[in-house]
Amino acid sequence: MSLDQSDQNDQGDREDRFEQRLRDMAQEYHRPPETPREELWQRIAAARAARRRRRAVSASPWLRWGVGIAAVLVLGIGIGRWTARQPGGNAIPLATAGGNDQGMLAYRVAAAQYLTRTEALLTGFRSEARSGQPDAQFARQARDLLGTTRLMLDSPAAQDARLKGLLEDLELVLAQIAQLPANGNQEDLQLINQGLEQRGVLLRLRTANPAGPGPVRMQGAL
Amino acid sequence: MDERELIARVRAGDGAAERALYDAHVDRVYRLAYRLAGDDELAREFTQDTFVRAFERLDSFRGEARLSTWLHAITTSVVLNGLRKVKRFRHRETDLAEATEVSRGRRQAEPDLKRRLAGAIDALPHGYRTVFVMHDVEGYTHEEIGAALGIETGTSKAQLSRARAKLREALADFAGEWVS
Repeated sequence: MSLDQSDQNDQGDREDRFEQRLRDMAQEYHRPPETPREELWQRIAAARAARRRRRAVSASPWLRWGVGIAAVLVLGIGIGRWTARQPGGNAIPLATAGGNDQGMLAYRVAAAQYLTRTEALLTGFRSEARSGQPDAQFARQARDLLGTTRLMLDSPAAQDARLKGLLEDLELVLAQIAQLPANGNQEDLQLINQGLEQRGVLLRLRTANPAGPGPVRMQGAL
Repeated sequence: MDERELIARVRAGDGAAERALYDAHVDRVYRLAYRLAGDDELAREFTQDTFVRAFERLDSFRGEARLSTWLHAITTSVVLNGLRKVKRFRHRETDLAEATEVSRGRRQAEPDLKRRLAGAIDALPHGYRTVFVMHDVEGYTHEEIGAALGIETGTSKAQLSRARAKLREALADFAGEWVS
């Protein structure tokens, strides 16, 4: 065997050893835990049921009415809160229940859309917070959602005790994110994340609205 | 029950068949989602979305490929689009040369080879990372990867080779430990 051939063989051996070692060590890369089969199956079943229901409702002219009414009611609550403010006094919640099924459906649709946006924001925020400094857009979106949260707290959607508790926790978390300075330090982020974890906010959000990202959902607490 | 029969029963609305199909594939779907996302909650969301889409679109599955291949194509599409949405790639799409310099600079502070390897995999361009994770970590064949990602088998092989080369370069200062 010539020296050249010997060198080539050594090089090939090193390549093989490198690739084998790389494969072995890469097994540790994002090593997954055991698959949460039952929980995932429940989530999939809930998501599919919600989609079926959404399709059924969207085929009906009542949905279009419902969505329109939802928009009008949310606007009405906002106007009511604004006009109820007395100089030097506190806002007086004026929102009342729709008083019929159609009105409640409208509230549910509005609440589902709000919860979907909030879930997307919090999931994105948590993910960004882990990998560094979250974008300033999170604070802007949190401010926007904070206003809606307060409207929701004054609406019939908050008659459900479970949903009301969730809305109150969301109000706190969104207020923290909204006030996060552009150069907020890791301690601020950690505090917000701890609040999310300790109160199980994301889990409760998903339980209240379990179908995953989507424009309209009506499951769980709704 | 063979795959064709199982699919026919799912299409007919058989709930037990749906569960059987799920049970047969959920582990690989979840594992791949987790490996690529590196986050349990995201992996759960991606797995959920994958199966919701799969059950909805099963009527369009023509049986030209294996069901697992079709399912993994949905998985990779859901995961990669989902990761883009949550901007997790923002920190991964760092220029590798820069990442290499940074990681070399930390040689004294962070001597842990496994952690360095994880950082180097994260720093790979996402096409290389996906192929590397699917082939070298999760054991997919190049044919499966090609079908899932919609690329030629040769492209998959080339991307794997480049991914390994970049990892070798990024971990060059650990060369002694690699061969020991």
